Amino acid sequence: MFYIHKTTCISPQQTFSAVDIEHLNEPVNNKFQAVEPSYEGIPPGILRRMGKAVRLGVGAAMPLVHHSTQPPDGIIIGTSMGGLEDCIKFLNQVIEYNEGMLTPTNFVQSTSNAIAGQLGLLSKNKGYNITHVHRGFSFENAILDAAMLLKETPGTNYLIGGVDEISSYNYNIEYLGGWYKKEIFSSKDLYTPGSVASIAGEGAAMFLVNDQSTGAEAQLKAIHIFQTEDIATVGNQLRQFLEKNLPAGEKPDLLLSGENGDSRFLKYYTTCETLTGNDITIARFKHMMGEYPTVSSVAVWLACEIIKQNALPQHMLKSKSPDRDFKNILIYNNYKGLQHSMMLVSKAENQ
Amino acid sequence: MNRVFVTGIGIISAIGNTLAENRLSLMEGRSGISKISDNFPSKFAGVLPFGEIKTANSRFKENLNAKEPGITRTTLLALHAMEEAIKDSALTTAELASFDTALIGATTVGGMCLIDELYRDANKNEGGSEYLSSYDGASVTMYLQSRYNINGINNTINTACSSSANAIMYGTRLLKNGLAKRAIVGGADSLAKFTINGFNSLYILSPDACTPFDADRKGLNLGEGAAFLVLEKEEDCAGKKIYAEVTGYGNSNDAFHPSSLSENGDGPYRSMQGALETARLRPGEIDFINAHGTGTENNDEVESKAMIRLFGHPPAFTSTKSNTGHTLGAAGAVEAVFSILNLVYQEIYPGLNFKNAIISTGLIPIQSYTTTLLKHVMSNSFGFGGNCTSLIFSKA
Repeated sequence: MFYIHKTTCISPQQTFSAVDIEHLNEPVNNKFQAVEPSYEGIPPGILRRMGKAVRLGVGAAMPLVHHSTQPPDGIIIGTSMGGLEDCIKFLNQVIEYNEGMLTPTNFVQSTSNAIAGQLGLLSKNKGYNITHVHRGFSFENAILDAAMLLKETPGTNYLIGGVDEISSYNYNIEYLGGWYKKEIFSSKDLYTPGSVASIAGEGAAMFLVNDQSTGAEAQLKAIHIFQTEDIATVGNQLRQFLEKNLPAGEKPDLLLSGENGDSRFLKYYTTCETLTGNDITIARFKHMMGEYPTVSSVAVWLACEIIKQNALPQHMLKSKSPDRDFKNILIYNNYKGLQHSMMLVSKAENQ
Repeated sequence: MNRVFVTGIGIISAIGNTLAENRLSLMEGRSGISKISDNFPSKFAGVLPFGEIKTANSRFKENLNAKEPGITRTTLLALHAMEEAIKDSALTTAELASFDTALIGATTVGGMCLIDELYRDANKNEGGSEYLSSYDGASVTMYLQSRYNINGINNTINTACSSSANAIMYGTRLLKNGLAKRAIVGGADSLAKFTINGFNSLYILSPDACTPFDADRKGLNLGEGAAFLVLEKEEDCAGKKIYAEVTGYGNSNDAFHPSSLSENGDGPYRSMQGALETARLRPGEIDFINAHGTGTENNDEVESKAMIRLFGHPPAFTSTKSNTGHTLGAAGAVEAVFSILNLVYQEIYPGLNFKNAIISTGLIPIQSYTTTLLKHVMSNSFGFGGNCTSLIFSKA
């Protein structure tokens, strides 16, 4: 589909600038808050007015849109909620001042397209600009979009990314909805069986992608998304996905599983593990990142990192198979047991 | 690449609950904008004019048999339009359920039309409402997905006021790239305290019915609506009713200001130009433009300038926002439907409330019902965040 050339990631772990994913930051009160950098390159006046999601997204993307020799031909962002904090701040004003005189700042920043819009504005990028907001498929649609654009106009470059924030508001709404655990969990306890719900996360992962293999960090070979609650469908779709995208008889070298500690959805991940077999390494990442709709973007970032290092931290391992180079990584994730995504991230051919 | 045709249409707006009603209102130059509001609670209801749909939620729920908890007005409008589009295209249950049927929705308000409920759910720790998973934009599309069991690529797009124009573009591209065999594309938004107060805080709501492209325009009127199109590949259209072909789409960011367009209108210029390029048309081949034309000081002047820059002498144009109000995330799809009606019936509908041209541009919208030969119609949608999208529909 396309090659990944540069990546950045702001997450609850040390993933920005000095990357260290061996060290594990713990969640605080079931929230994995992003470790925010000093955000160089964003004018302080503008930075102050940015809500968290906009800050995370723009902050992660700025090094990619500014430091690249060639400005991207388009900016494609996946975010389930965009700047929900601004949105609810504005809503609170509407209610508390009974529709009185309000300031527009929060309103303008509240729309989900504020991240891509601000990026266009700050980097003076007048190219393709779009925001996908389909909950657990927001980032996946950004991938599909870029893949289509590269087929339509070969030789172009795109910035794609996934961003979501934890605000006290969406935490509240999701908590009430039964999506976050009631008891406090540590990172290492997250996968302990028998408990429903997960813990909250946030972050932004950004990628510069094009159709050129030269100098690429990795290749995104294939993606498949579908919605179902039927376990057999998940198995069938995964089997077809692997048959279609790997040479006959070959298996991925690593399964990067979106297992999130929610006993209600463990069956999907187990199905996936059974299908890929017990001779491949299985790794997990939500004990590092928490659960949120666009966390699959961080999974892609981790896959690139694992390919680069040809190694992964001990704390990510669920089961280890005999040493094998990490050439093909299968990412399987589902959001709330309904939106399933499968991606194949591979070593770029020229590496 | 494959040619993509429109084989089904559904629409609801302040000027009608069906495609036929909308066309009749357009022909008769009727506006759905008024100060009488029945269906949404706001201090501004009855004070400012809105393009409200006069059907209550309870009636929609009854008619559409949508009685599950947690359904919002935005979802009801979307479902109403989707139902008409699917019936119109005669897609079968099996076709809908196939893994190559895509559903691409668009909305800006989503479930935030329920801001009093959202306020309580976001600020309290216990006793959540029935709407906990209904506030985001995706909730609208996901309801449609599960109701019709649509199994292919699903997506929701939010680029503010160009959202559903981008949904149409995205669906068309899925077909052209072979990622879907058919796509149902469109968008919905309902009137909401949230957007009314937001636009009011920007001082761009007109105290009177909006007057697109008029020198003395005072701002926009918010409206509500939904529209969906069924898109199919040429090879699958044999024997089917075909409304029009989707031939052009251009997307660009104005990269100037979070909530207003640049003086030269680079974004609008580039999106219109991009649409011409994908359609492989020269500017002179566009016969009519359904302009974004919100009626704000900023939009209408910039859009006019961008049209003059690209076309020299722009083709005939109007803004149907003088009929429906600005339906935000639904506007791109609603106006795509109107553009397709232009082509199908070879007619142009009168733009309303225009008196004098903007001095710096001198452009005059069409003000009377006209029948004429139309081959290619352009539809513009520009949004906050600088998101500009233009579509071109061509006579099939």
